[in-house]
Amino acid sequence: MPSLGSRSVLSIGAVALVVAWAAAPALLSRSVVDMLVFTGLYTIAGLGVTFLLGQCGIVSLAQSVFYGVGAYATAYCTTHYGWPAAYGFAIGMGVSALLALAVGWPVLRLSGYFLALATLALAIIGHVLFTEWDWLTGGTLGIGGIPALNLFGIALDSPQRFYYLIWPLAALVLWLHYNLLHSRAGYAMRAMRDAPAAAQVLGVDTHVLKVKIFVLSAVLGALAGSLFAHYVTFVSVDSFGVDRAINFLLLVVLGGAKTIAGTVLGALFITVMPHALSRLGDVHAVLFAGCLIVAVIFLPEGFGGALRRALRRFAPER
Amino acid sequence: MGALLEVRNVSHSFSGLHVLKGVSFAAEEGSICGLIGPNGAGKSTLFNVISGFLAPDRGEVLYAGADISRLTVPQRSFQGLVRTFQTPQVFPHLSVRDNLVAGSYKDSRTGMLANLLGTRGSRAELRRMREAADAACEKFGLSAVRERLAGKLPGGQQRLVELARAALGRPRLLCLDEPSSGLNTEEVEQLMDTLRVLNREGISILLVSHDMDLVAVASAIHVLCFGEIIASGPLARIQSDARVRDAYLGV
Repeated sequence: MPSLGSRSVLSIGAVALVVAWAAAPALLSRSVVDMLVFTGLYTIAGLGVTFLLGQCGIVSLAQSVFYGVGAYATAYCTTHYGWPAAYGFAIGMGVSALLALAVGWPVLRLSGYFLALATLALAIIGHVLFTEWDWLTGGTLGIGGIPALNLFGIALDSPQRFYYLIWPLAALVLWLHYNLLHSRAGYAMRAMRDAPAAAQVLGVDTHVLKVKIFVLSAVLGALAGSLFAHYVTFVSVDSFGVDRAINFLLLVVLGGAKTIAGTVLGALFITVMPHALSRLGDVHAVLFAGCLIVAVIFLPEGFGGALRRALRRFAPER
Repeated sequence: MGALLEVRNVSHSFSGLHVLKGVSFAAEEGSICGLIGPNGAGKSTLFNVISGFLAPDRGEVLYAGADISRLTVPQRSFQGLVRTFQTPQVFPHLSVRDNLVAGSYKDSRTGMLANLLGTRGSRAELRRMREAADAACEKFGLSAVRERLAGKLPGGQQRLVELARAALGRPRLLCLDEPSSGLNTEEVEQLMDTLRVLNREGISILLVSHDMDLVAVASAIHVLCFGEIIASGPLARIQSDARVRDAYLGV
C-alpha cells in the first residue's frame, strides 16, 4: 500500500493533471490543440492494437482498414444521404465488426510472423479498395463537406471544441480497457498470450477469444476513423494507407503494449515528435527514425513501462 | 467404480511413422492410473490424443462413457479432463497468484460486455477467483512466492504452480505428464503426498512418468512400448513382467 504521503502527492498530481487538461485549449495555440486532438484519436484507435499486441500477443497491421471504414461510412452517410452522424458512426462500427469477424475467423488461425504478414496484406488490400471504389470513397479526390459534429447545440468545428469531446471519449475507452483487463476475459487473454496450449486446457477457446478481441479492436478503429472524418471534414485515401497502419502499431510498441497509459504516450509521441522535428528542415524524417531507434533500444517496455517503473519506485504497491 | 477414461484401439502416425498402434487401456474413476514407457514409446502422443491436441487416425477416446474424440481441448476441459505438460506451461509474465486466478476460468461466466463495463457481477466474479487462488496458494505451499512472476521460479515450483492451477480447473480426471521431471527426492515425496490428497478429494489421476518411485502411488499401471500396451496391472506385477523388464526397466 502506498504511504499516506505518497498517496496524497499522487492525488494532487491527478487533480493538477485534470486542471491542466481542462485549461489546455485556452492556453495553448490552435496547432498544439490540434495535435492533442490527434493524440486522442490515435489513442482510441491505438488501444485496439494495444489489446491485440499487449494482451493477446497478436501483431495487427490492419487497423488502418477499420479506421478507414469508420471514416468513409460516416462521410458517405452524412454527405450522400444527409443522415445524422450517429447513424454513420453505428454503420462504420457495425461494418468494421462484421468485416473483422469475416476476415479474422480464418486469418487468426495463423500466428506469429504469418499473422503479422496477413494483417499487412489486409492493410494493403484495404488501401487498394479505398482507392478503386471511388463511387463510394471518392477515390483520390476523397469526400469533402463532412459536417462537424454537433453536441448539445454546439458545433465541434474547431480543435478547441473537439478537444473536449475526444478526450472524454478516450478516457471512456481507457476505462473500458481497464475493466476488460481486470476481468475473466483479461486473464484469459494474458494466459493465451503467455502459453496458448495451457490456456486451452483451462477452458479458454483461444480462437474465439482472438476473434472477439479483433472485432473489438476493429470497432475502436472505426470509432476513431468516424471521429477523424467529422474533425477534419474531408477524407481521402491518403489517410488510410499502410503508413497509417504502421503508425498505429508503432505508437503501441513505443508506448508499451502492456500498459494502458503507454498508448496515450505513444500516440502523443507519434503526433508531436514529427511536428517538432519538422522545424529542423528536410532531415526531420531521419531524426524521427533515429528517435524511434533510441526509444526502442533504451525503453524496451515503452514509455508506459518506464512510467510504471518510476511510479513504483515512488509509491510501491506492496 | 467403472472406467472414467477408456482408450479404444487408438492409432496415430506422423509422416508414415506409426507412433501409436491400436492402443487400448482404461483408467478407473477415483483411481490413480500410471502410464509408463521408455523414450519414444508414444506416451506424449497418447496424452495429446487423450487431451485433444491431436486427433487419432483410428480408434476412439471415451470419457465418462461418451466418445470425446471430436471434442476440442477447451470442451474436454469443461467436462473435467485437465492436463499438465512435460515442460511446465506456466504463464511466465503473470504472478503465481494470477496464474492461479486464470485457473478458475471455468468457474466464471460473465460475458465480454459485462467485463468491458466492469459490472458488479464481473467484479464479484474476479474477487471470487482471487479468493480461490489465495486458498490454492495456501494449499499448495505457494504463499511465499505468491507475488513473484511464475516464469522466474525454479522448475520444481513451476510444476507446483501448474499442478495447483490444474487442480483449480475442477478436474474430474487430471492427466499429469512427467510431473516429477526436474524435482529432487524431497520434492517428489511432496508431490506424491499432494497427488494422494487430490485423489482423496475425488479427482482421478492419470500419470505419465519415468519415475518408478512416483508411479508407486498408482493402483494400476499400463506400460506403453513402441506404440503398444505390453502390460497392465499393479506395480508388483509390472515389475516382474519379463517383457516390461526387457523393454523398459532394462534389468
